[in-house]
Amino acid sequence: MPYVITSSCVDVMDKSCLEECPVDCIYEGDRMMYIQPDECVECGRCEPVCPEVSIFHHEDLPEPVRQFERINAEFFTELGSPGGARKVGRTGADHPDVAS
Amino acid sequence: MTKREVDLLVVGAGPTGLYATYYAGFRGLKVALLDSLPEVGGQIAALYPEKAIYDVAGFPAVRGQDLVDALYAQAAQADPVLLLGSSAVSVREHDEGVDVTTDAGEVVRAKALLITAGIGNFTPRQLPVGSEYAGRGLRYFVPRLDELAGLDIVVVGGGDSALDWALGLEPIARSVTLVHRRAQFRAHERSVEQLHASSVRVLTPYEVHKISGEVAVEEVVVTTRAGDQQVLPAQAVVAALGFIADLGPIEGWGLELRRRHILVDRTMRTNLSRVFAAGDIADYDGKIKLISIGFGEAALAVNHITTVVRPGSSATPGHSSDL
Repeated sequence: MPYVITSSCVDVMDKSCLEECPVDCIYEGDRMMYIQPDECVECGRCEPVCPEVSIFHHEDLPEPVRQFERINAEFFTELGSPGGARKVGRTGADHPDVAS
Repeated sequence: MTKREVDLLVVGAGPTGLYATYYAGFRGLKVALLDSLPEVGGQIAALYPEKAIYDVAGFPAVRGQDLVDALYAQAAQADPVLLLGSSAVSVREHDEGVDVTTDAGEVVRAKALLITAGIGNFTPRQLPVGSEYAGRGLRYFVPRLDELAGLDIVVVGGGDSALDWALGLEPIARSVTLVHRRAQFRAHERSVEQLHASSVRVLTPYEVHKISGEVAVEEVVVTTRAGDQQVLPAQAVVAALGFIADLGPIEGWGLELRRRHILVDRTMRTNLSRVFAAGDIADYDGKIKLISIGFGEAALAVNHITTVVRPGSSATPGHSSDL
Protein backbone atom coordinates (compact mmCIF):
# COMPACT_ATOMS: atom_id res chain seq x y z
CA MET A 1 0.00 0.00 0.00
CA PRO A 2 1.60 3.15 -1.24
CA TYR A 3 2.39 6.75 -0.53
CA VAL A 4 0.18 9.33 -2.23
CA ILE A 5 0.86 12.83 -3.60
CA THR A 6 -1.86 15.36 -2.89
CA SER A 7 -3.21 18.76 -3.93
CA SER A 8 -0.40 20.96 -2.64
CA CYS A 9 1.85 19.58 -5.39
CA VAL A 10 -0.40 21.05 -8.08
CA ASP A 11 1.43 23.74 -10.06
CA VAL A 12 4.44 23.50 -7.73
CA MET A 13 6.14 20.22 -8.63
CA ASP A 14 9.28 20.81 -6.59
CA LYS A 15 10.43 17.25 -7.48
CA SER A 16 12.67 16.79 -4.45
CA CYS A 17 10.81 13.49 -4.06
CA LEU A 18 12.18 12.25 -7.39
CA GLU A 19 15.70 12.27 -6.04
CA GLU A 20 14.75 10.15 -3.08
CA CYS A 21 12.62 7.46 -4.69
CA PRO A 22 14.69 4.27 -4.93
CA VAL A 23 12.34 2.65 -7.40
CA ASP A 24 11.73 5.66 -9.64
CA CYS A 25 7.96 5.35 -9.22
CA ILE A 26 7.08 9.07 -9.13
CA TYR A 27 5.79 10.20 -12.52
CA GLU A 28 5.50 13.70 -13.87
CA GLY A 29 2.08 14.94 -14.93
CA ASP A 30 1.42 18.34 -16.41
CA ARG A 31 0.38 19.99 -13.13
CA MET A 32 1.48 17.54 -10.43
CA MET A 33 3.52 14.43 -9.69
CA TYR A 34 1.89 11.01 -9.21
CA ILE A 35 3.06 7.88 -7.36
CA GLN A 36 2.52 4.56 -9.17
CA PRO A 37 0.89 2.52 -6.38
CA ASP A 38 2.01 -0.89 -7.70
CA GLU A 39 5.61 0.26 -7.96
CA CYS A 40 5.86 2.11 -4.64
CA VAL A 41 7.71 0.00 -2.06
CA GLU A 42 6.63 2.20 0.86
CA CYS A 43 10.12 3.11 1.94
CA GLY A 44 8.84 6.53 2.99
CA ARG A 45 11.86 8.50 1.80
CA CYS A 46 9.82 10.91 -0.31
CA GLU A 47 7.54 12.06 2.49
CA PRO A 48 9.91 14.19 4.59
CA VAL A 49 11.63 15.92 1.68
CA CYS A 50 8.50 17.45 0.13
CA PRO A 51 8.62 21.18 0.88
CA GLU A 52 4.85 21.35 0.26
CA VAL A 53 4.10 18.55 2.75
CA SER A 54 2.17 16.98 -0.09
CA ILE A 55 3.06 13.32 0.41
CA PHE A 56 1.27 11.00 2.82
CA HIS A 57 1.10 7.31 3.47
CA HIS A 58 -2.29 6.28 2.16
CA GLU A 59 -3.43 5.33 5.65
CA ASP A 60 -2.51 8.76 6.97
CA LEU A 61 -4.20 10.87 4.31
CA PRO A 62 -5.95 13.92 5.77
CA GLU A 63 -9.69 13.87 5.07
CA PRO A 64 -9.72 16.85 2.66
CA VAL A 65 -7.29 15.11 0.28
CA ARG A 66 -8.47 11.51 0.67
CA GLN A 67 -9.54 11.42 -2.97
CA PHE A 68 -5.90 11.65 -4.05
CA GLU A 69 -5.35 7.97 -3.28
CA ARG A 70 -7.81 7.26 -6.08
CA ILE A 71 -6.40 10.08 -8.25
CA ASN A 72 -2.83 8.77 -8.02
CA ALA A 73 -3.99 5.24 -8.85
CA GLU A 74 -6.30 6.26 -11.70
CA PHE A 75 -3.59 8.39 -13.32
CA PHE A 76 -1.96 5.07 -14.28
CA THR A 77 -5.03 3.47 -15.83
CA GLU A 78 -3.59 3.90 -19.29
CA LEU A 79 0.10 4.28 -18.45
CA GLY A 80 0.08 1.03 -16.46
CA SER A 81 3.29 0.08 -14.67
CA PRO A 82 6.12 1.26 -16.89
CA GLY A 83 8.75 0.27 -14.32
CA GLY A 84 10.49 3.60 -14.02
CA ALA A 85 9.60 7.25 -14.54
CA ARG A 86 12.92 8.04 -16.22
CA LYS A 87 11.91 5.90 -19.18
CA VAL A 88 8.61 7.76 -19.48
CA GLY A 89 9.67 11.36 -18.90
CA ARG A 90 7.04 14.11 -18.80
CA THR A 91 3.65 12.69 -19.57
CA GLY A 92 2.10 16.12 -20.26
CA ALA A 93 -1.19 14.71 -18.92
CA ASP A 94 -3.13 14.85 -15.68
CA HIS A 95 -5.96 13.02 -13.96
CA PRO A 96 -9.25 14.62 -15.09
CA ASP A 97 -9.88 15.87 -11.52
CA VAL A 98 -6.56 17.72 -11.61
CA ALA A 99 -6.39 18.91 -15.24
CA SER A 100 -7.56 22.50 -15.48
CA MET B 1 36.91 -16.28 -17.65
CA THR B 2 36.37 -18.45 -14.60
CA LYS B 3 33.60 -20.92 -14.09
CA ARG B 4 32.13 -21.96 -10.79
CA GLU B 5 29.91 -24.96 -10.22
CA VAL B 6 27.35 -25.10 -7.46
CA ASP B 7 24.08 -26.87 -6.77
CA LEU B 8 22.12 -23.67 -6.29
CA LEU B 9 22.76 -20.07 -7.22
CA VAL B 10 20.68 -17.53 -5.30
CA VAL B 11 20.40 -14.16 -7.04
CA GLY B 12 19.63 -11.40 -4.55
CA ALA B 13 20.99 -11.15 -1.00
CA GLY B 14 18.01 -9.54 0.69
CA PRO B 15 16.21 -11.26 3.56
CA THR B 16 14.61 -13.89 1.32
CA GLY B 17 17.88 -14.71 -0.45
CA LEU B 18 19.83 -14.89 2.80
CA TYR B 19 17.31 -17.24 4.34
CA ALA B 20 17.23 -19.34 1.16
CA THR B 21 21.02 -19.57 1.35
CA TYR B 22 20.87 -20.86 4.92
CA TYR B 23 18.14 -23.27 3.91
CA ALA B 24 20.16 -24.59 0.97
CA GLY B 25 22.92 -25.46 3.42
CA PHE B 26 20.39 -27.12 5.68
CA ARG B 27 19.34 -29.31 2.75
CA GLY B 28 22.98 -30.11 2.00
CA LEU B 29 23.27 -28.09 -1.20
CA LYS B 30 26.39 -26.25 -2.29
CA VAL B 31 25.16 -22.71 -2.69
CA ALA B 32 26.38 -19.41 -4.12
CA LEU B 33 24.80 -16.05 -3.31
CA LEU B 34 25.06 -13.12 -5.71
CA ASP B 35 24.07 -9.47 -5.32
CA SER B 36 24.72 -6.27 -7.25
CA LEU B 37 25.44 -4.35 -4.04
CA PRO B 38 28.73 -4.78 -2.21
CA GLU B 39 26.87 -5.63 1.03
CA VAL B 40 24.19 -8.18 1.86
CA GLY B 41 20.75 -7.14 3.07
CA GLY B 42 19.08 -5.86 -0.09
CA GLN B 43 16.39 -3.25 0.43
CA ILE B 44 16.66 -3.43 4.22
CA ALA B 45 20.35 -2.56 4.24
CA ALA B 46 20.16 -0.08 1.36
CA LEU B 47 16.96 1.75 2.28
CA TYR B 48 16.01 1.35 5.91
CA PRO B 49 18.76 -0.18 8.06
CA GLU B 50 17.67 1.88 11.07
CA LYS B 51 13.93 1.27 10.87
CA ALA B 52 12.32 -1.05 13.38
CA ILE B 53 10.48 -3.99 11.82
CA TYR B 54 7.58 -5.40 13.80
CA ASP B 55 6.21 -8.22 11.66
CA VAL B 56 9.01 -10.77 11.59
CA ALA B 57 8.06 -13.93 13.48
CA GLY B 58 9.81 -14.24 16.79
CA PHE B 59 10.84 -10.59 17.08
CA PRO B 60 8.50 -8.13 18.85
CA ALA B 61 10.65 -5.51 17.10
CA VAL B 62 13.94 -5.74 15.28
CA ARG B 63 16.16 -3.05 13.79
CA GLY B 64 16.61 -3.59 10.05
CA GLN B 65 20.38 -3.98 10.12
CA ASP B 66 20.18 -6.30 13.14
CA LEU B 67 17.84 -8.58 11.20
CA VAL B 68 20.24 -8.53 8.24
CA ASP B 69 23.21 -9.33 10.50
CA ALA B 70 21.37 -12.26 12.06
CA LEU B 71 20.23 -13.57 8.67
CA TYR B 72 23.79 -13.29 7.40
CA ALA B 73 25.19 -15.18 10.38
CA GLN B 74 22.57 -17.88 9.77
CA ALA B 75 23.32 -17.98 6.02
CA ALA B 76 27.07 -18.24 6.68
CA GLN B 77 26.43 -21.71 8.17
CA ALA B 78 25.82 -22.88 4.59
CA ASP B 79 29.37 -21.76 3.72
CA PRO B 80 28.11 -19.99 0.59
CA VAL B 81 30.24 -18.73 -2.26
CA LEU B 82 29.61 -14.97 -1.99
CA LEU B 83 29.50 -13.00 -5.23
CA LEU B 84 28.81 -9.46 -4.02
CA GLY B 85 29.08 -6.42 -6.23
CA SER B 86 28.14 -8.61 -9.21
CA SER B 87 25.06 -8.49 -11.38
CA ALA B 88 23.61 -11.49 -13.15
CA VAL B 89 23.47 -10.47 -16.78
CA SER B 90 22.31 -13.53 -18.67
CA VAL B 91 20.78 -16.89 -17.90
CA ARG B 92 20.88 -19.98 -20.09
CA GLU B 93 19.09 -23.15 -19.07
CA HIS B 94 20.38 -26.45 -20.47
CA ASP B 95 20.02 -30.17 -19.72
CA GLU B 96 22.39 -30.27 -16.73
CA GLY B 97 21.67 -26.92 -15.20
CA VAL B 98 21.66 -23.19 -15.62
CA ASP B 99 24.59 -21.03 -16.71
CA VAL B 100 24.48 -17.53 -15.28
CA THR B 101 26.93 -14.94 -16.58
CA THR B 102 27.81 -11.97 -14.38
CA ASP B 103 28.75 -8.45 -15.41
CA ALA B 104 32.32 -9.36 -14.46
CA GLY B 105 32.24 -12.09 -17.13
CA GLU B 106 32.18 -14.89 -14.60
CA VAL B 107 30.02 -17.91 -15.41
CA VAL B 108 28.30 -19.74 -12.59
CA ARG B 109 26.99 -23.18 -13.52
CA ALA B 110 24.26 -24.21 -11.11
CA LYS B 111 21.90 -27.16 -11.09
CA ALA B 112 19.16 -24.71 -10.17
CA LEU B 113 18.69 -20.95 -9.94
CA LEU B 114 16.63 -19.15 -7.32
CA ILE B 115 15.80 -15.52 -8.06
CA THR B 116 15.20 -13.52 -4.89
CA ALA B 117 15.84 -10.17 -6.50
CA GLY B 118 13.09 -8.17 -4.77
CA ILE B 119 12.66 -4.92 -6.64
CA GLY B 120 15.60 -5.66 -8.91
CA ASN B 121 19.13 -4.57 -9.41
CA PHE B 122 20.31 -1.61 -7.33
CA THR B 123 22.50 0.78 -9.28
CA PRO B 124 23.91 4.07 -8.01
CA ARG B 125 21.87 7.13 -8.90
CA GLN B 126 23.78 9.08 -11.53
CA LEU B 127 24.98 12.60 -10.91
CA PRO B 128 22.72 14.79 -13.10
CA VAL B 129 25.73 16.59 -14.62
CA GLY B 130 29.25 15.42 -15.35
CA SER B 131 28.44 11.70 -15.60
CA GLU B 132 30.87 11.52 -18.53
CA TYR B 133 33.68 11.79 -15.95
CA ALA B 134 32.79 8.41 -14.45
CA GLY B 135 36.03 6.49 -14.04
CA ARG B 136 38.03 9.69 -14.66
CA GLY B 137 37.73 11.11 -11.18
CA LEU B 138 33.99 10.61 -10.70
CA ARG B 139 33.04 7.49 -8.76
CA TYR B 140 29.97 6.09 -7.07
CA PHE B 141 31.63 3.75 -4.55
CA VAL B 142 34.75 4.04 -2.42
CA PRO B 143 35.64 0.45 -1.59
CA ARG B 144 39.16 1.47 -0.51
CA LEU B 145 39.57 4.90 1.02
CA ASP B 146 43.35 4.99 0.50
CA GLU B 147 42.88 5.12 -3.27
CA LEU B 148 41.93 8.76 -2.76
CA ALA B 149 44.74 9.72 -0.35
CA GLY B 150 46.26 13.15 -0.91
CA LEU B 151 43.52 14.42 -3.22
CA ASP B 152 41.05 17.26 -3.09
CA ILE B 153 37.75 15.42 -2.89
CA VAL B 154 34.18 16.57 -3.38
CA VAL B 155 31.59 14.23 -1.86
CA VAL B 156 28.02 14.76 -3.07
CA GLY B 157 25.00 13.60 -1.07
CA GLY B 158 23.29 13.86 2.30
CA GLY B 159 22.84 10.28 3.51
CA ASP B 160 24.91 7.93 5.61
CA SER B 161 27.16 6.83 2.75
CA ALA B 162 28.04 10.44 1.87
CA LEU B 163 28.83 11.32 5.47
CA ASP B 164 30.71 8.08 6.15
CA TRP B 165 32.89 8.58 3.10
CA ALA B 166 33.49 12.28 3.82
CA LEU B 167 34.50 11.50 7.41
CA GLY B 168 36.57 8.48 6.40
CA LEU B 169 38.45 10.42 3.75
CA GLU B 170 39.10 13.51 5.86
CA PRO B 171 42.26 12.22 7.60
CA ILE B 172 43.95 11.09 4.37
CA ALA B 173 42.74 13.60 1.76
CA ARG B 174 44.24 17.00 1.04
CA SER B 175 40.75 18.43 1.42
CA VAL B 176 37.19 17.14 1.59
CA THR B 177 34.13 19.18 0.67
CA LEU B 178 30.66 17.76 1.23
CA VAL B 179 27.99 19.16 -1.09
CA HIS B 180 24.31 18.50 -0.40
CA ARG B 181 21.29 20.09 -2.01
CA ARG B 182 19.40 20.53 1.24
CA ALA B 183 20.41 22.00 4.57
CA GLN B 184 19.36 18.84 6.44
CA PHE B 185 21.26 15.59 6.26
CA ARG B 186 19.54 12.22 6.17
CA ALA B 187 22.11 10.43 8.27
CA HIS B 188 22.86 9.31 11.81
CA GLU B 189 22.80 12.22 14.23
CA ARG B 190 26.17 11.11 15.51
CA SER B 191 27.68 11.28 12.01
CA VAL B 192 26.26 14.78 11.53
CA GLU B 193 27.83 15.88 14.83
CA GLN B 194 31.16 14.35 13.79
CA LEU B 195 30.88 16.11 10.45
CA HIS B 196 30.46 19.52 12.01
CA ALA B 197 33.34 18.86 14.40
CA SER B 198 35.60 17.80 11.51
CA SER B 199 37.62 19.78 8.99
CA VAL B 200 35.25 18.70 6.18
CA ARG B 201 33.98 21.77 4.39
CA VAL B 202 30.18 21.55 4.26
CA LEU B 203 28.35 23.34 1.46
CA THR B 204 24.54 23.33 1.69
CA PRO B 205 22.18 23.89 -0.02
CA TYR B 206 24.44 23.51 -3.05
CA GLU B 207 24.14 21.34 -6.15
CA VAL B 208 26.77 20.30 -8.65
CA HIS B 209 26.40 22.60 -11.62
CA LYS B 210 29.38 21.54 -13.69
CA ILE B 211 32.40 19.26 -13.63
CA SER B 212 35.34 20.18 -15.81
CA GLY B 213 38.84 19.00 -16.57
CA GLU B 214 40.92 18.24 -19.63
CA VAL B 215 41.28 14.49 -19.22
CA ALA B 216 40.05 13.85 -15.70
CA VAL B 217 38.20 15.88 -13.09
CA GLU B 218 40.00 19.13 -12.20
CA GLU B 219 37.26 21.43 -11.02
CA VAL B 220 33.70 21.26 -9.71
CA VAL B 221 31.32 24.21 -9.86
CA VAL B 222 28.51 24.13 -7.30
CA THR B 223 25.61 26.57 -7.09
CA THR B 224 22.63 27.37 -4.90
CA ARG B 225 19.17 27.89 -6.31
CA ALA B 226 19.63 31.59 -5.53
CA GLY B 227 22.60 31.59 -7.91
CA ASP B 228 25.52 31.69 -5.48
CA GLN B 229 28.47 29.87 -6.97
CA GLN B 230 31.60 28.19 -5.64
CA VAL B 231 34.43 26.79 -7.71
CA LEU B 232 36.15 23.83 -6.05
CA PRO B 233 39.43 22.41 -7.27
CA ALA B 234 39.06 18.62 -7.11
CA GLN B 235 40.71 15.51 -8.47
CA ALA B 236 38.00 13.20 -7.16
CA VAL B 237 34.22 13.44 -6.97
CA VAL B 238 32.32 10.85 -4.95
CA ALA B 239 28.61 10.82 -5.80
CA ALA B 240 26.66 9.16 -2.98
CA LEU B 241 23.14 9.89 -4.15
CA GLY B 242 21.56 6.60 -3.22
CA PHE B 243 20.35 3.83 -5.44
CA ILE B 244 17.70 3.14 -8.00
CA ALA B 245 16.41 -0.38 -8.46
CA ASP B 246 15.01 -1.82 -11.61
CA LEU B 247 14.47 -5.28 -13.02
CA GLY B 248 17.27 -4.71 -15.50
CA PRO B 249 18.41 -7.79 -17.41
CA ILE B 250 15.89 -10.10 -15.69
CA GLU B 251 13.29 -9.00 -18.22
CA GLY B 252 15.36 -10.67 -20.94
CA TRP B 253 15.76 -14.10 -19.30
CA GLY B 254 12.77 -15.72 -20.96
CA LEU B 255 10.74 -15.80 -17.76
CA GLU B 256 7.01 -15.41 -17.76
CA LEU B 257 6.30 -12.07 -16.11
CA ARG B 258 3.16 -10.42 -14.81
CA ARG B 259 3.30 -6.69 -14.13
CA ARG B 260 7.10 -6.92 -13.93
CA HIS B 261 7.05 -9.75 -11.42
CA ILE B 262 8.04 -13.36 -12.08
CA LEU B 263 5.16 -15.81 -12.24
CA VAL B 264 5.66 -18.99 -10.22
CA ASP B 265 3.67 -22.12 -9.50
CA ARG B 266 2.91 -23.60 -6.06
CA THR B 267 6.47 -24.90 -5.76
CA MET B 268 7.86 -21.44 -6.57
CA ARG B 269 9.02 -22.73 -9.96
CA THR B 270 8.98 -20.38 -12.94
CA ASN B 271 8.19 -21.38 -16.52
CA LEU B 272 11.84 -22.56 -16.76
CA SER B 273 12.21 -25.97 -15.08
CA ARG B 274 15.43 -25.21 -13.17
CA VAL B 275 14.63 -21.60 -12.32
CA PHE B 276 12.66 -20.68 -9.20
CA ALA B 277 11.73 -17.33 -7.67
CA ALA B 278 10.79 -16.24 -4.15
CA GLY B 279 10.18 -13.07 -2.18
CA ASP B 280 8.91 -9.75 -3.50
CA ILE B 281 9.82 -10.51 -7.11
CA ALA B 282 7.70 -13.70 -7.23
CA ASP B 283 4.05 -13.43 -8.13
CA TYR B 284 1.01 -15.71 -8.03
CA ASP B 285 -2.67 -15.18 -7.35
CA GLY B 286 -3.12 -13.97 -3.80
CA LYS B 287 0.49 -12.84 -3.36
CA ILE B 288 1.32 -10.45 -0.54
CA LYS B 289 4.78 -8.93 -0.31
CA LEU B 290 6.14 -9.29 3.21
CA ILE B 291 9.47 -10.38 4.67
CA SER B 292 7.74 -13.15 6.58
CA ILE B 293 6.12 -14.46 3.41
CA GLY B 294 9.48 -14.28 1.64
CA PHE B 295 10.94 -16.56 4.32
CA GLY B 296 8.19 -19.11 3.78
CA GLU B 297 8.61 -18.94 0.02
CA ALA B 298 12.38 -19.36 0.37
CA ALA B 299 11.99 -22.59 2.34
CA LEU B 300 9.29 -23.83 -0.02
CA ALA B 301 11.45 -23.09 -3.05
CA VAL B 302 14.64 -24.65 -1.68
CA ASN B 303 12.86 -27.83 -0.60
CA HIS B 304 11.50 -28.26 -4.12
CA ILE B 305 14.83 -27.24 -5.65
CA THR B 306 16.43 -30.08 -3.68
CA THR B 307 14.38 -32.56 -5.72
CA VAL B 308 15.65 -30.92 -8.92
CA VAL B 309 19.28 -30.96 -7.82
CA ARG B 310 19.03 -34.52 -6.49
CA PRO B 311 16.35 -36.35 -8.40
CA GLY B 312 14.69 -38.92 -6.20
CA SER B 313 15.22 -37.02 -2.95
CA SER B 314 12.26 -35.85 -0.93
CA ALA B 315 10.96 -32.32 -0.90
CA THR B 316 10.17 -32.79 2.77
CA PRO B 317 13.19 -31.98 4.90
CA GLY B 318 12.27 -33.48 8.24
CA HIS B 319 12.65 -31.18 11.21
CA SER B 320 15.82 -29.21 11.87
CA SER B 321 15.41 -29.94 15.59
CA ASP B 322 15.82 -33.66 14.89
CA LEU B 323 19.32 -33.19 13.48
